[in-house]
Amino acid sequence: MSKITIPLGPQHPALKEPGNFMLVLEGEQIVGATVRLGYNHRGIEKACEDRSFIQNLYLIERVCGICSHSHTTCFCMATEDAAKIEVPKRAQAIRVLVGELERVHSHLLWLGVAGHEIGFDTLFMYAWKDREQVLDCLEMISGNRVHYAINTIGGVRRDVTPEQKAEILKRMDILEERTKYYIQLATQEPTVLARAKGVGHLPTEEAKKRGAVGPTVRASNVPFDVRKDDPYLLYDELDFKVITSDSCDVFGRLVVRVFELLESFKLIRQVVNDLPEGPISVKVPRKLPAGEGVGHYEAPRGEDIHYVRTNGTEKPERVKVRAPTLANFSSIAYMLEGGYLADAPIVIAAIDPCFSCTDRALSISTSTKGEYSLSWEDLRKLGIEFYRSRGIDFTRIAK
Amino acid sequence: MTEGRTEEAIKEKLEGRFGTNLSNWIVQRTRRMYVELPREALVEVVQFAKEELGFDHLSTITGLDAGEHLELIYHLFAKGLLLLNLKTKLPLSDPKVRTITHLFPGAEPYERELEDMLGATVEGLPPGRHYPLPEDFPPGQHPLRKSWKVSDAYPQEV
Repeated sequence: MSKITIPLGPQHPALKEPGNFMLVLEGEQIVGATVRLGYNHRGIEKACEDRSFIQNLYLIERVCGICSHSHTTCFCMATEDAAKIEVPKRAQAIRVLVGELERVHSHLLWLGVAGHEIGFDTLFMYAWKDREQVLDCLEMISGNRVHYAINTIGGVRRDVTPEQKAEILKRMDILEERTKYYIQLATQEPTVLARAKGVGHLPTEEAKKRGAVGPTVRASNVPFDVRKDDPYLLYDELDFKVITSDSCDVFGRLVVRVFELLESFKLIRQVVNDLPEGPISVKVPRKLPAGEGVGHYEAPRGEDIHYVRTNGTEKPERVKVRAPTLANFSSIAYMLEGGYLADAPIVIAAIDPCFSCTDRALSISTSTKGEYSLSWEDLRKLGIEFYRSRGIDFTRIAK
Repeated sequence: MTEGRTEEAIKEKLEGRFGTNLSNWIVQRTRRMYVELPREALVEVVQFAKEELGFDHLSTITGLDAGEHLELIYHLFAKGLLLLNLKTKLPLSDPKVRTITHLFPGAEPYERELEDMLGATVEGLPPGRHYPLPEDFPPGQHPLRKSWKVSDAYPQEV
């Protein structure tokens, strides 16, 4: 049979973000795959060199829309190491708390997306409905659903009140119950098993060799978790398990994530019940002394690493961001090969890719048109006009 | 393990093998160590760290424009031990370094990034597409060089 090469992406290969996969097919089977990235490169690293540390926090937060707290914490830890700043215990605890709530939100989001990719939309709707519980907690603590802006250099910006603590604990109980249902579903539901077992195989040795991280490598039976292996914040004082699976496929990645939810609830309860007293931040000068630091963090998708070099001014000399998805891309090509075309979306989705994080860095758009804003009505008109000029008329149905 | 013991042990082993090639040791805190080395010794040190000392995970490679030279930092991690940051300098007139993809296949995107963003030349990197710059990006321009401005590549945007 002759081979054909088809492009999957850059538009919507699995998730709603751009990435391109060139798949070489022999019939329905994938015999070769190459990955092309860079569509979301936004110039964040370069832009960081032009901004103060505080401004950078807000920029770094926007590296990713899902693990925003992971990136700011990682950046703060690197900067604090560089400038030799001690962060108060209470602030560290609040960072852990928000970090674990974020992990819960991210894993539930993934669970929904995975359900959607395998054509099991009921799971998608259930998971996203439950995710609202944790988003409400985050909104309550920080005022925001996704970009929490809780971190600052030297601590956190908001404290947690006793009422908030009680509310978080209440919602964790609800979520724990739901998670038990998901565990049952992930391990017993025939639809899930049929689509996940044996799909996207990544043997232990291959995962190690290719430097995979996060739930992807843990599902290949490698117990690599930065929270245990390079403990930061309060993690060496907290009790939790590193979840692994030896099935080395999409099923394993599903199992690892749902069981990790339980560990996160455990961590959240420990932090909330035993929140250290004291200040939530220390005062940090605007100009930081010259130095360097590496932030190492276990984001929901895996190991996140930031390198920050300071030069005695109020702006950093260099900020480097390596998000977990980039480390996992080398494994994707391997996982796709030998599989079927129909499984490609779930195999790609199973690493929980986040292209925005991965591509961080170029093309800064400075519009020549100046700033202007559109009302909802204007925007609607603009859309109708745009399509009409291309021969599609919505006027009749858009009344 | 007692504070600082692991760091000392790793340092001793590396020094025993590579001696004067390694300079400017900094043990910043538990599990953070920095060391400088000439680029000629880089591949051997990375190989030794991986095979003999258990640094089996390459977290990433940072590149930066330090004025007279490019500086590369290889962040190697050994689970439960420490994060070892190997620094090496490349002169701007000849910014060449050998690839480590034979040791860490996952290093490929990191090395391509060094080529695209900083204009380093990674010898032995298999031919392939750009990452992360687009294919039609003006050749010879490297955004993370300090002298680079957005207007160099996109004059119409500024």
